[in-house]
Amino acid sequence: MENPTIQVTVATRRPVSGASEPAPMPGERAAPTITPPIDIHEGPDGLILEADLPGATASTLRVELEGNVLTLHARIEPPLPEGARLLHEEYRLGDYQRSFILGDEVDRDRITAELTHGVLRLTLPRADRRKTRRIEIRS
Amino acid sequence: MSGMPWDRGWDPFRELQREVGRLIGSIDPFPVGPRVAVYPPMNFYDAGDRYLLTAQLPGMTSDLIELTISGETLTLRGERKRAEGIGEECYRRQERPMGRWSRTVTLPDRVDNDQVSASFAGGILTIALPKAEAARPRHIAVSNGAGVEPNGGRGA
Repeated sequence: MENPTIQVTVATRRPVSGASEPAPMPGERAAPTITPPIDIHEGPDGLILEADLPGATASTLRVELEGNVLTLHARIEPPLPEGARLLHEEYRLGDYQRSFILGDEVDRDRITAELTHGVLRLTLPRADRRKTRRIEIRS
Repeated sequence: MSGMPWDRGWDPFRELQREVGRLIGSIDPFPVGPRVAVYPPMNFYDAGDRYLLTAQLPGMTSDLIELTISGETLTLRGERKRAEGIGEECYRRQERPMGRWSRTVTLPDRVDNDQVSASFAGGILTIALPKAEAARPRHIAVSNGAGVEPNGGRGA
């Protein structure tokens, strides 16, 4: 017997955010929203999703499930002394956000999240759907 | 981008090397931003009495990062590995850069090399490069010269 496949679709549309972002001050760049790179692999009990969120802390990270859309969001506070002036930039500082559409096979009540060294690890356990269900035949 | 913002033509990023592991092309119609050309990406700041060099190294730990300074050359290197025991066939998606990486940064002579320090937290490496005494910003007091005092010249 094959295990049922868990489907996780990487959402291609931006989730509607609750509050509109404040307009940037003149001469100031708006903080961009960063789409973090992810890996997804299949484990014995479900899927493991890992996202690179350097600079994120557990206190500013939110993982939300709304319907079948799982969204991760991390607000980034640049840990720089006040008045530090940017001279060279290879990465932008901004909030991380990315959404995924979960298949029915994910056990939503047992999703866990862990943030270590700037990597978020989401465990998406497979719902036990292999129990045989007897279907009554009405006569 | 042209015109480095610091003077004397210092380009700390002239020698770049990127060795990343397998990168699977994204099948996402809205892929993750532009691929970084160098790894790890670094930002550079002027914080008054020191420069700050930050590098995004998620998933690394401080003991896995080798940071050496030799003369005016700062080198950082390490290797990022995927979790062991997971076969390639188990991956549905691989977007995170993996593999050996190293970067070399040439320090300007305005940095006090003996005082360079580094810290690592939450996947961000921060290297503090204290400015040499002569390069620090100085506050120059402006005093009123006798000849331009508001009341000057009224007497006598």
